[in-house]
Amino acid sequence: MSTLQAMQQHMQRAILDARTAALPDIRSDDVANAGSRLAIYQRGYRIRLRDALKKEFIGLQCMAATRLDALLDDYIDAHPSEHYNIRWYGGALAAHLRETRRDKPQLADMAQLDWAISTAFDAADEPSIGQSELASVPPAAWANLRLDLQANLQVLIVSHNVDAFRRAADRATARPGVRRLAKPRRILVWRHATTVHYRVLENDEWPVLASARRGEPFAALCALLAEYHGDAHAVPRMVSLLQTWLAAGLVRGLAS
Amino acid sequence: MHRGMRSITSTLATSAMTATRSDTLPYLGYGLGLRVEHYEALLAKPAQVQWLEVVSENYMVDGGLPLVWLDRFRERFPLVMHGVSMSIGSTDPLDSGYLARLSALAKRVEPAWVSDHLCWTGVAGVQLHDLMPLPYTEEALDHVVDRVKRVQDVLQRRILLENVSSYVSFAQSQLTEWEFLAEVAERADCLILLDINNVHVSAMNHGFSSLDYLRGLPVSRVQQFHLAGYEQGEQLIIDTHDAPVSNAVWDLYVEAVRRFGRVSTMIERDDNFPPLSELLAELEHARKLAEPLLRNAA
Repeated sequence: MSTLQAMQQHMQRAILDARTAALPDIRSDDVANAGSRLAIYQRGYRIRLRDALKKEFIGLQCMAATRLDALLDDYIDAHPSEHYNIRWYGGALAAHLRETRRDKPQLADMAQLDWAISTAFDAADEPSIGQSELASVPPAAWANLRLDLQANLQVLIVSHNVDAFRRAADRATARPGVRRLAKPRRILVWRHATTVHYRVLENDEWPVLASARRGEPFAALCALLAEYHGDAHAVPRMVSLLQTWLAAGLVRGLAS
Repeated sequence: MHRGMRSITSTLATSAMTATRSDTLPYLGYGLGLRVEHYEALLAKPAQVQWLEVVSENYMVDGGLPLVWLDRFRERFPLVMHGVSMSIGSTDPLDSGYLARLSALAKRVEPAWVSDHLCWTGVAGVQLHDLMPLPYTEEALDHVVDRVKRVQDVLQRRILLENVSSYVSFAQSQLTEWEFLAEVAERADCLILLDINNVHVSAMNHGFSSLDYLRGLPVSRVQQFHLAGYEQGEQLIIDTHDAPVSNAVWDLYVEAVRRFGRVSTMIERDDNFPPLSELLAELEHARKLAEPLLRNAA
């Protein structure tokens, strides 16, 4: 190991863990001793990571309120940053909270939604089609029509009313109470043009959306809906869902 | 302060003989660091700012709003790219993934130039997200020079390296910071982004002369100036970029203009954002300080 490499590793250890012995290589002088000088980097490291996390996890900020810094510090201590862009530092926070805060599972649910919104924000741009593209589909082609959905759409399963917290944070309105749901719900997160959206998926919508993502044809999607609504109402419901998805920018193309 | 380093003499001789700046890059005038907080206001008052510096990492993303804004600004302003994560002094291998994305962004932006910092930001795969100073040794010099050359090969352009503010210095250093920076620039054939505030902060924190620093850099290598504000801590000055440029830094800026001549200059503000008008007033102040000196020199 080179002298430079040894110095950098030693200094980094001292920044990540203040209990590391002070560096003999750092000069002390009349202005400040080596410990005081090093402490600036130690404090700076934590502050920068905390600030970066707060930018991405605004629902969690709303939910955790005064306990937020302690939560983030636990994560910072357990997870040194490994990506050159600090914007990606929070990628493991939801899993960390799921593991370490089993007493408050709403925190992991919240972090999961925040991170999905964060990653959708600067995901790759994709085109989307509107109602007019459907007009060119001949009637005979509908049964085999396949929907090409946006790659950036994400579906999360949550057990708490985390969407209400995120909405309160986005709109700067009053913080709601934490509520455990009677049964888990699925939240769809996606970006249309430059705006990130999230909403709860309806019970019959999720299996149809999942099938559409797998490339199932329109006829199969309608068959799924028939299980919920009966044959007579399946096609109208599918048309309604399709209109909703098109308006939301979820569909980037059609294939047959 | 010389300690027998092999190329110091040649560096100083070169700087003394070179009276004009590299003519390979343009002079851009007076600019600002582009920050989200001023997006709308900047587009409303484009005429008062001659160019913008973007933080490279903010736009090294796959898509979405950041790139939409970037394209809007690119249509209206000359841009330069300024990175914080190259980690040119780290003993970890250069991050080829980072360089590939940086290179792709540079192709999209076509900036007047690309810069980063003379520092390391982490080792052993860890990122400290800070601009860590190097020991100014022969070993570090060889290491940095080699890496700058390799980065410049990847980017197919000369880069600018910025002096960082620092709070520690190392017992094993054999060179002053400015000797080290000058040597890197000469040996790697790169350019210098001189942060006037950082010179002042480090001079106060380590007890060296900021004027010696300016005198020690080769005129021909200094392509850009940064101006920023700092916070006076209990013992040390902290480079916070959250306050107006201090009087001491304005004074040093005047000295820098006297020494380096016409250099593209910008205000860097990263926190405690004032209305854009306050930054524009600071930029105007820079103009009023520099232009009479430059006219007289001409």
